[in-house]
Amino acid sequence: MLVYLIKRLGLAMVVVCLVVLVLFSLLHLIPGDPATIALGPRATPEAIARYAEKMHLNDPIWQQFLIYIGNAASGDLGLDVFSNRPVTAIILDRIGFTLALVFASMGWAVVLGIPLGCLAAVRPDSLLDRITGVLAVGSIALPSFLVSIWALLIFAVEFRWLPAIGAGEPGDFSDQLSHLVLPAFAIGLSWVGYLARMVRASMLEVMGENYIRSARAFGLRPRKVVYGYALRVAILPTITLIGMGFGGLISATVFAEIIFARPGIGKLIFDSVMARNFPVVQGAVLVATALYIFVVLFSDILIAWLDPRVRESL
Amino acid sequence: MTMPKTTRRQFLGSTAALGALTVAPAWTGAVVAQEGGQKVLRVRQDGDNAILDPAYMVGGTEVEAQKQCLPFLAEYVEKDGSFSWRPTMFVTKLELRDPTHIDFELTPDLKWSNGYGTLSAEDVKYSYERMKDGDWAGYFEALDSVEVTGELTGTIVLKQAFAPFFMVTLCHGPGAIVCKQATEDAGGQFTIDFPAICGPYTYTYTPGQRVVFDTNPEWTGPKPEFDKVIATVITEVKASELAFDAGELDCTELGSDTLARYTQSMPEGTAVTTAGQLQYMWMGMNTDHPKLKDIRVRQAIQRAVDVDSILAGAYSDTTAEMHGIICPGLLGHREETGYDYDPAKARALLDEAGVSGLELTLRTLNNQERMLTAQIIQANLAAVGITVKVLPLDSGPFWEMGQESKGDTWKDLELWIMRYGTTPDPYEATQWFVSDQVGIWNWERWTDEEYDRLYQEGIAETDEAKRRDIYVRMQEIMENTGAYVWINHEPESYAHIDQIEINAAPSGELNYRRFKQV
Repeated sequence: MLVYLIKRLGLAMVVVCLVVLVLFSLLHLIPGDPATIALGPRATPEAIARYAEKMHLNDPIWQQFLIYIGNAASGDLGLDVFSNRPVTAIILDRIGFTLALVFASMGWAVVLGIPLGCLAAVRPDSLLDRITGVLAVGSIALPSFLVSIWALLIFAVEFRWLPAIGAGEPGDFSDQLSHLVLPAFAIGLSWVGYLARMVRASMLEVMGENYIRSARAFGLRPRKVVYGYALRVAILPTITLIGMGFGGLISATVFAEIIFARPGIGKLIFDSVMARNFPVVQGAVLVATALYIFVVLFSDILIAWLDPRVRESL
Repeated sequence: MTMPKTTRRQFLGSTAALGALTVAPAWTGAVVAQEGGQKVLRVRQDGDNAILDPAYMVGGTEVEAQKQCLPFLAEYVEKDGSFSWRPTMFVTKLELRDPTHIDFELTPDLKWSNGYGTLSAEDVKYSYERMKDGDWAGYFEALDSVEVTGELTGTIVLKQAFAPFFMVTLCHGPGAIVCKQATEDAGGQFTIDFPAICGPYTYTYTPGQRVVFDTNPEWTGPKPEFDKVIATVITEVKASELAFDAGELDCTELGSDTLARYTQSMPEGTAVTTAGQLQYMWMGMNTDHPKLKDIRVRQAIQRAVDVDSILAGAYSDTTAEMHGIICPGLLGHREETGYDYDPAKARALLDEAGVSGLELTLRTLNNQERMLTAQIIQANLAAVGITVKVLPLDSGPFWEMGQESKGDTWKDLELWIMRYGTTPDPYEATQWFVSDQVGIWNWERWTDEEYDRLYQEGIAETDEAKRRDIYVRMQEIMENTGAYVWINHEPESYAHIDQIEINAAPSGELNYRRFKQV
C-alpha cells in the first residue's frame, strides 16, 4: 500500500508540473505583446517596461518556468499584477467558496442519485425504473450553465424565493446557505443523473452474484441485502466517479460563479484571464489542478481501503 | 395544559394559505432598501478594486471608491445634455486667476480618518505633484507645481495654458487628493485600502464579493442621502441585469440589447439614465494604401455605408449617430455630417476614379456588435461593387496592427472598425490624429498643418466660443480627408429604481454620495 501511495504521489507531481508547463506555453502563445495586452493599448512605454520587468517577461520562457516552479514549491505563487497582493492570499480568500459549492452540489447529488439508482435496480424495468432513467438522462443532457440561467430566472427573478447573486452576508451562515442553493442545484443536477445511472448499472451486476442469491436464500430482509451487501460492493465504481466528479465540478463552478456572481476559483480564473493577470491565472489553475489530483488520489486510496481485492492486487 | 384543536379541514386550509404565501413573489415593488432604520443603496461594481491609489490605479471602479472616500477640488455637472464643472464641497474657492494659475481654498475642519488631522493645502500639493511620476502622469503634464500659500489655501501653477485641466484632471480620478502623512506612512503608495479617508463614507472591501460604504462618523460635511452603499462585485453585465430584475440591486449598467428591450417596454418601477456617450466608433481607411490613395475612392466609401442600418441592425437604435469625434455633450460636438448615404453618388465617384472590381479587407475586433457592423458595411459596399473581406481579430493583434513599432501589418491595413473612449473635453479625442501620431494611433496616416496648429490652439484657448469653433473645424478637416465613416457613440446607460436619481460621470463612474431619493 505504501509503494502504491508513493507511486501515485509521484505521478501526481509529474501531472502538476506538466499542467504548469502547458499553461505557460498557452499564455505565451496568445498573439500580441503580453505587457501591452495586460496594460491596454494606451499604456505608456515606462509602464510596459515596469510590467515586463516585474513579470520577468524579458527572461527566456524556460527560465520563467523554473523561477515559477521554484517559488510555487515554497508556497509563493507570485504577486497580483495590479494590486500587488500575494496570489496565495487571493486564492485562499476564494477557495472556500468554491469548495462549499462543490461539496454542496455533489452532496445533494449523492443523497438523491444513489437511492434513486438503488430503487431503479431493485425493480428493473418497472415504471419507477423507466421514470428514473428518463429523468437521469435528461439531467445529464442539460448543460449546467443553462440550468443556472433557468434556475435564476424562475426561482430568483420570477418567484423571488431565493437570492440571485453573491455568496451572502459575510458571517451570516443562513444567508450564505440560501445563496448556495441555486448554484448548487444548477451544477449538481447532472450529477444526480450520472450517479443514478452508475449505481443502477453496478447494482444490477452485483444483484446477480451468488452471494446475494445466498443471502436471499438465508431469508435476510431485502433492505439488508440491498443496502448491507449489494450496495457496499456496487458503490466502489461510484466512488471513483465521485472523485472524478469533484474535478469536473471545479470546472463547472466557473459558469455558476459567473452567472450567480459568486466569488470562487473559477470566477477568479475567468476574470484574471480577461485581465491578462498571468500570475493569478497560473496560481489559480495550479491550485485547481492540485485539488483535482488530490481528490482523485483520495478516492483511489479509499477504494483500495474498502475493497480487499484492490488492496491485494497492489 | 390544553392543546388547541385543529380539524383536518383547518389544517388543509392553513397549509394551502401558507403555500400560497410562499409561492407569491416576495417583492411587489421597487423601493429603497432599509436595514436597521438606515437607507441602503445596492449597486453593482463591475470588478475588483486593485489599486485605490490615484497615481497607480487601474481606473473605473477605483474612481468610484475614490469619489466616496477622498476629496476632489472639482466635480462634473450636467445641464441640458452638456457637461461642465463646479467646485466641490471640499473647497470654498476654486478660480482660474489667469490661464496658468488656479487658486483654491479648502473647506476648514475636514478630518482625515485614523488621526491624520485635517485636510490641508499641503495634501493637495503632495497629491498632485506625485502624480507626475505615476501611471497617470499624462493628466498632469501641464502641471508645474502647487504653491501652498496658507494652511488651507494654495495655487495650482501650470507650465502653459491648459484649458482641459478642470474637466479632465481635477474632476476625474487622477484629481483625487490623498493624505500626505498617511500615504508616506503606507510606504508612498497604497493598493486595496485607503490609508486615510476624508469623505462621507468609510470603505470596507471584501475581495471578490463587495465593497460597503458606511457613513463616516468623522465627516463634518453635508450628509449623503444614503446611510450605506453596498456595491456587489458582478463582473458580467448580464448577471447584473438579472440581479436588478430580481430586485437585489437598485441600479445597474445596461448592455445594449437590454437597453433596447427596456426602451421598448420599461419595467414597472424602473427608470433609465444615460450618463454620457464618450465612446466614438468609426470605420477608418488607410490613405497611404495604393487601393485607397485616391480621395474619390474614399469619398465613395463614405457615401456607400448606410450608418442608419448599422445603428438599427447592430445596436437596436440605442446609440447616437456620430458626426465627428467630439462626443455629445462636449464642446465642439457636431450635429451633422458633411456627406450623406448616397450609393448612386458613390458609384459615380468610383467611375470617376476609374476603379472597378475593388477588393478590400475590413479588420475588426471579434465581438458581436462589431461583427454585425462589419457585415452590414460588407453588404453596403457590395452594392456599389466593392468586395469586402471581413477579418475578425482578437484584441492583441487588433490594437497593434496600425502601429509601426509592432510590425509591418500597418502597410496592409485597408479598412478597419475602431472605437475609442475619451474624457469629457474635446482635446483628448483630437490628440490621436495629429501628425506625430501617424504610425502610432493615427492609422489613417494623413497629416495636416492646420489641424496640428488648431490642436495646440484648442488646448490653450479658454474662450468657449473660440474653442468650439476650433474643434468643429478640426473635425471638418478629418472628414475632408475621406478617411472616416462616422458610425456611433455608445451610451453608458443605467437602469435604476424610479425612486432614486443617480449621478454618474460622463465616462460612467457612479458617484453614490450624489445619489438622491425622489
